[in-house]
Amino acid sequence: MSVIFTAPLIVSGIAAVLAALISVLDMIVNNYGIVKIVINKGKKELEVKGGANLLQLLAGNKIFLPSACGGRGSCGACKCIVKSDVGPHLPTEIPYLTKEEMDVNTRLSCQVKVKKDIEIEIPDVLFNVKQFEGVVEKIKDITHDIKEVLISIGEEKIEFEAGMYVQLVVPPYGKIKGETQRAYSMSSTPSDKNHIEILVRLVPGGIATTYVHTELKEGQKIKVIGPFGDFHRSGTDAAMVCIAGGSGMAPFKAIFNDMYENKINNREVWYFFGARTGKDMFYLDELRELEKKWDKFHFVPALSEPEESDNWSGEKGLITAVLNSYLKEKISTETDREGYLCGSPGMITACKSVLTDNGIPLEKIYFDNFA
Amino acid sequence: MKMTPAYKKAQGNMAPGVITAGGFLGDDERDIKDIITEDEELMEYFSLDYEKVCTTLEYLLDQGERGLGEFTTVDETWLVRTLEARGHLPCPFEDGIHRKITCEAVNIKNNRKILFSTISIHLLREHHFHEGKGSEFRLDPEALKKVLNI
Repeated sequence: MSVIFTAPLIVSGIAAVLAALISVLDMIVNNYGIVKIVINKGKKELEVKGGANLLQLLAGNKIFLPSACGGRGSCGACKCIVKSDVGPHLPTEIPYLTKEEMDVNTRLSCQVKVKKDIEIEIPDVLFNVKQFEGVVEKIKDITHDIKEVLISIGEEKIEFEAGMYVQLVVPPYGKIKGETQRAYSMSSTPSDKNHIEILVRLVPGGIATTYVHTELKEGQKIKVIGPFGDFHRSGTDAAMVCIAGGSGMAPFKAIFNDMYENKINNREVWYFFGARTGKDMFYLDELRELEKKWDKFHFVPALSEPEESDNWSGEKGLITAVLNSYLKEKISTETDREGYLCGSPGMITACKSVLTDNGIPLEKIYFDNFA
Repeated sequence: MKMTPAYKKAQGNMAPGVITAGGFLGDDERDIKDIITEDEELMEYFSLDYEKVCTTLEYLLDQGERGLGEFTTVDETWLVRTLEARGHLPCPFEDGIHRKITCEAVNIKNNRKILFSTISIHLLREHHFHEGKGSEFRLDPEALKKVLNI
């Protein structure tokens, strides 16, 4: 009988000793001590406690690499070049890297565990990226599924070029346990350095968009990291052929308002904006007003499936078809032309094809793939 | 129903925050083997064939891409929107990675809706896993019957 009682006690005792042993071994084996991260040949040096991933360690020292998944290894955005030997590329990194990137040891920083001193290279521009503790000043419904969110960053200032994006840090809510980050182009004008405006379209199943549409309230605090990205107006005189749909409107709103404010009127600007029905179309009045004030700005909204109640007298059809007809019949080929696109990968691929078919070379097509 | 180590691992990968922030299980606390078994029975009840369902979902996802990020009408039966998000997701059963393409399909005639992604089609075809009850991406057999009209 006593065996019945003593056997579980002995087994539990052995398990407890083993657990303690594992814990002690873990402290010894996984204690990497203080390690040094040398960035861009010594432009910045960090001393950090080893053992965490590179993305986290950099963020902990206010150096923010782009990341759309919060370090889960599923977005492939947090790339940097690692000059030191940190072992071979992991299977989780390989799908996101080209051969050229792998040849120079580009890594996903969220997948690199820092166990010893390492040297890395990141674009210098990332040193300007900051985390802002903002307050939601205004939330406005601009369509049935797009909200315009204006965030005040108080006394802080954000320096950016029109077209760049920020990452919204969504706190845990509902079943979502950890923080989530998602990228949104800024629709605010760079001259307003104390505000960040973004347009957020509700994506079913989207963690961040659902949060913005159902949880986020005016007056609430929200963290924003940025600016990121290299989508911006070129410095040439070429005519700009800009195409967007949905919340792809955001960077163009910033670019056009910035150009108008700064009297950059040396170039023609054509803006094609596609939506399905009237209820998906927005900023019509504002853009038509801009068209009246700015003779070189041409706004071409189009509906792909207008409803009778829309009373739509504008262009009809997919934006690619409308773009194609304007490029053939209305937009002068005598001056250089550049393409600017913001939308889903499918929309970008389709528009790139129309632009190149109409003589705009691929190297003069700039795009913000907001996927 | 017995859970093999591979199923236990997959169930762990389906928790919120592991592969996706919301996970694959919704409010469902059952073992995934039980979820799969019950859904297989429902598929049979509704006379739905996994391959035919997956082919139809792929067709809708492809057709939705024509809308360039907006809803588009397909075959006068469905209103479909296909969107792509940056990156890839690994399958929780650890047998491949998939682009993050999601598709909303609404049957115009009855207004029933489903939401699915490239990984949902893989989970359905290869693992007969429809996601747990309460998951936004759950492909409930009854909803599949009503929306796909097959």
